[in-house]
Amino acid sequence: MKKRLIVLNHVKKSFGDLTVLDDFNLYINENEFITLLGPSGCGKTTCLRLIGGFESPDEGTIEFDGKVINDLEPNEREINTCFQKYALFPHLNVYNNVAFGLKIKKVPKAEIEERVMQTLKLVKLEDYASRSISTLSGGQQQRVAIARAIINRPKVLLLDEPLGALDLKLRQEMQYELKEMQRQLGITFVYVTHDQEEALTMSDVIVIMNEGKILQIGSPEDIYNEPKNRFVANFIGESNIFEGKMIDDYWVHFCGRDFKCVDKGFEEFEEVDVVIRPEDFDFVPPSKAKIVGRVDSLIFRGVHYEINVIVDGHEYTIHTTKYREIGDKVGLAVEPANIHIMKKEASK
Amino acid sequence: MINSRLMKKKSRQGAGLLLTILLFAFLYLPIIIIFIISINNSTRGYRFEGLTLKWYSELLFNFKTPSSDLVIFREAIFNTIWVALRSTIIATVLGTIFAIGINALDKKRRVRMMVLNNIPVVNPDIVTGISLMVVFTLISFSLGETTVLIAHVFFSIPYVVLSVVPKLKRLDPNMYEAALDLGCSRLCAIWKVIIPNISTGIIGGALIAFTMSIDDFVISYFTSGIDFENVSIWLYTKMKNPQNLNPTLYAYNVLIILITIGVILFISLKRDRKEKQK
Amino acid sequence: MKTLRRYSFPYLIWMILFVLVPTLFLVVLAFSDLSLYRLSAFSIRFDNFAIFQESYIITALSNSLIYAFVVTILSFLIGYPVAFYLTTLSEKTKKILIALLILPLWTNMLVRITAWERIFSPNSIFTDIFNVSIPILGTQAAVVIGLLALYLPFMVFPIFSVLDKLDPKMIEASKDLGANDTQTFIKVIFPLSLGGVVSGFIMTFLPSLTAFALPETLGWRRVPMIGMEIQKKFIIEGFQAFSINQGALISILIMLFSIASFILITRVDKEGETLI
Repeated sequence: MKKRLIVLNHVKKSFGDLTVLDDFNLYINENEFITLLGPSGCGKTTCLRLIGGFESPDEGTIEFDGKVINDLEPNEREINTCFQKYALFPHLNVYNNVAFGLKIKKVPKAEIEERVMQTLKLVKLEDYASRSISTLSGGQQQRVAIARAIINRPKVLLLDEPLGALDLKLRQEMQYELKEMQRQLGITFVYVTHDQEEALTMSDVIVIMNEGKILQIGSPEDIYNEPKNRFVANFIGESNIFEGKMIDDYWVHFCGRDFKCVDKGFEEFEEVDVVIRPEDFDFVPPSKAKIVGRVDSLIFRGVHYEINVIVDGHEYTIHTTKYREIGDKVGLAVEPANIHIMKKEASK
Repeated sequence: MINSRLMKKKSRQGAGLLLTILLFAFLYLPIIIIFIISINNSTRGYRFEGLTLKWYSELLFNFKTPSSDLVIFREAIFNTIWVALRSTIIATVLGTIFAIGINALDKKRRVRMMVLNNIPVVNPDIVTGISLMVVFTLISFSLGETTVLIAHVFFSIPYVVLSVVPKLKRLDPNMYEAALDLGCSRLCAIWKVIIPNISTGIIGGALIAFTMSIDDFVISYFTSGIDFENVSIWLYTKMKNPQNLNPTLYAYNVLIILITIGVILFISLKRDRKEKQK
Repeated sequence: MKTLRRYSFPYLIWMILFVLVPTLFLVVLAFSDLSLYRLSAFSIRFDNFAIFQESYIITALSNSLIYAFVVTILSFLIGYPVAFYLTTLSEKTKKILIALLILPLWTNMLVRITAWERIFSPNSIFTDIFNVSIPILGTQAAVVIGLLALYLPFMVFPIFSVLDKLDPKMIEASKDLGANDTQTFIKVIFPLSLGGVVSGFIMTFLPSLTAFALPETLGWRRVPMIGMEIQKKFIIEGFQAFSINQGALISILIMLFSIASFILITRVDKEGETLI
């Protein structure tokens, strides 16, 4: 089993009347790329700031390497942060930004120089050492922010939506680089984002949060394929969600038909939510299909078409590379393994 | 069509230009008079009697045979500058610290503190002067140089705060935290990260504080008692008989303007060069 | 960041000591027979209000109000168009002209007053050089012109800084939506610059209202203003019985104008940061 590096125990945090986190429990393993994913205002940044030491919890404990660190100042923690919008020091050049932490710790000058150049090389900015921060592009500033944090050899690097300000192409490039860096450095990354694609691409573990609560923890595959509830399914990728009923083990009824599935253990006629990913539908000849409908709209999305099919008044969204005309009669098929059954949420 | 639009715009611009020129002429008229009196070869300064620089040399270099008036005037100048220097330094340090504190407050409290901060700025000098006089008398502080110094610190701080707070607001709040994150203590983070990035606001505030202090009359007048005289107080006692005012006073004023212009030019040129380097 | 809050606390104490304490004490002085220089038991009395029946106070007060009002209106009528014109200039010219507008303020206010004294004297240095004579020393006009010269820049600065920050796209949007120049000005530009106008009004009205060295010199003491009376009550007649108490009462009256200004300014300037 991996070593638990950070543990949050029954943490509560409020700002004024607003409770952001309540009875929040989470552990983070050593050497893991963990992502806190959720819509804005879900408490993910607060969670990160608690770990970093910029906020202290109202209740509960935060442990690091087996010790409670509630009362440690940020500068006393072996944790560094890569801030949203970078928070680079505009009065210092690239070199001095990166060297800042080492200078504070009074590391010998020769060692500082060696480590700064080494780190700049790692983030591919070795030629930019004497440049002023304001002359750098967003992507370069991002790299400086990372270099400034990792040069201190923290055990944990916290990243607060670090790619939020970059354009799509750059963001994708940086995603691979960050992942690669994490492997090379062998330190724990705690990553906060609201971008589900980013989370799926980079993480070992994803923590889905909403309204201060953890909804699901799991590997990207688990979360994508087996969302625990409607919120997770909706938040991770596009989904067709239908109201259904379990007729029996391995049999579910929705949209007026019975389907074979791979889930069991529900009560008889238990109401459930049924999730089918848009890319899991296949077109089949209408004569052989269980589901038959008409193409209602079609949008070209680059890699695929997004086609809306109306079946008995229900709307199905389908991602496919096959072209169909609007108004065409189409048959749809779906593998039992791709029909995901979720328990209904009690309240909503 | 285009022509008539242009004409309308032109005539409006012309009116604006004319009014602006008139305003500048109006504001500069006394400055011109001050300058002329300072180079006018007449002791009383009511008639023009030819050009001279003797008032400048009298003020700056006559240490062997100064008139008793000049000795008192020089003492007043010394008092003015000495109070201004000290009050500027104290007000700049305190104002910057207070501004950092105010900026960290939540919005409601911050606005309240700013309103409080603006009281001495909006209040007429005479009210501020009387208020301070009353406080000092109340705590049996005898009026004199110290009370004037405290008074100047008091009215200067709000200007420093007003000039620093907007710079602080523009800073990324994470920057302070980034410094903590990289191993700084709180004071180290303020000194190494916050101060360098609000330095233009601090310098601006210090400049305002210094010029306000040098030119202040009303507040100094009410808080000085009888033992302490700065240039303004000294001048006020003489203003009852303006014909007795010696042109060295005007020479002093022209020098103050020139020095201030020099300092401002120096600072702005330095800033421009720094910006160009970036 | 929040840990830095504590640095604002001493400022609160400092302001209470130098603003709240004296204000309360002035109120006590105004409504009692307490002596500022010999603190002792005191009794509340309203006799000080009798000064508002004295004709010299009434004249001084009405003079001050009228002059301050006239100066403020004139400053606005001149200052607003000038501030507006300045915003239409190039960045560089703008910077230079604003610096030139500040420059006169670096000379001592009293020295500027004596310069006006020379200008308004018969047979002055002004006549010798410009060949014009304006011998109006000792008249209301001299006082009003002098006040205008001292405080007009304080009308221009706040209006300029508000107008200069206006997004030019807002004006384009207004025209795009069909407003002509006049309508754009009345419906968009002027309402948005109101904050600056209010600061400008206050920064010219209050100092004009309370001036005392200027009317003494340019008005030859023939044109009494309320600042002169306050000064007399506190300094010249300070040791006479109840003089300071009467002065305190007049000061409280002036403070009411300050407070009114404050309420007005916090209405338009919600962040409290556009004063300078």
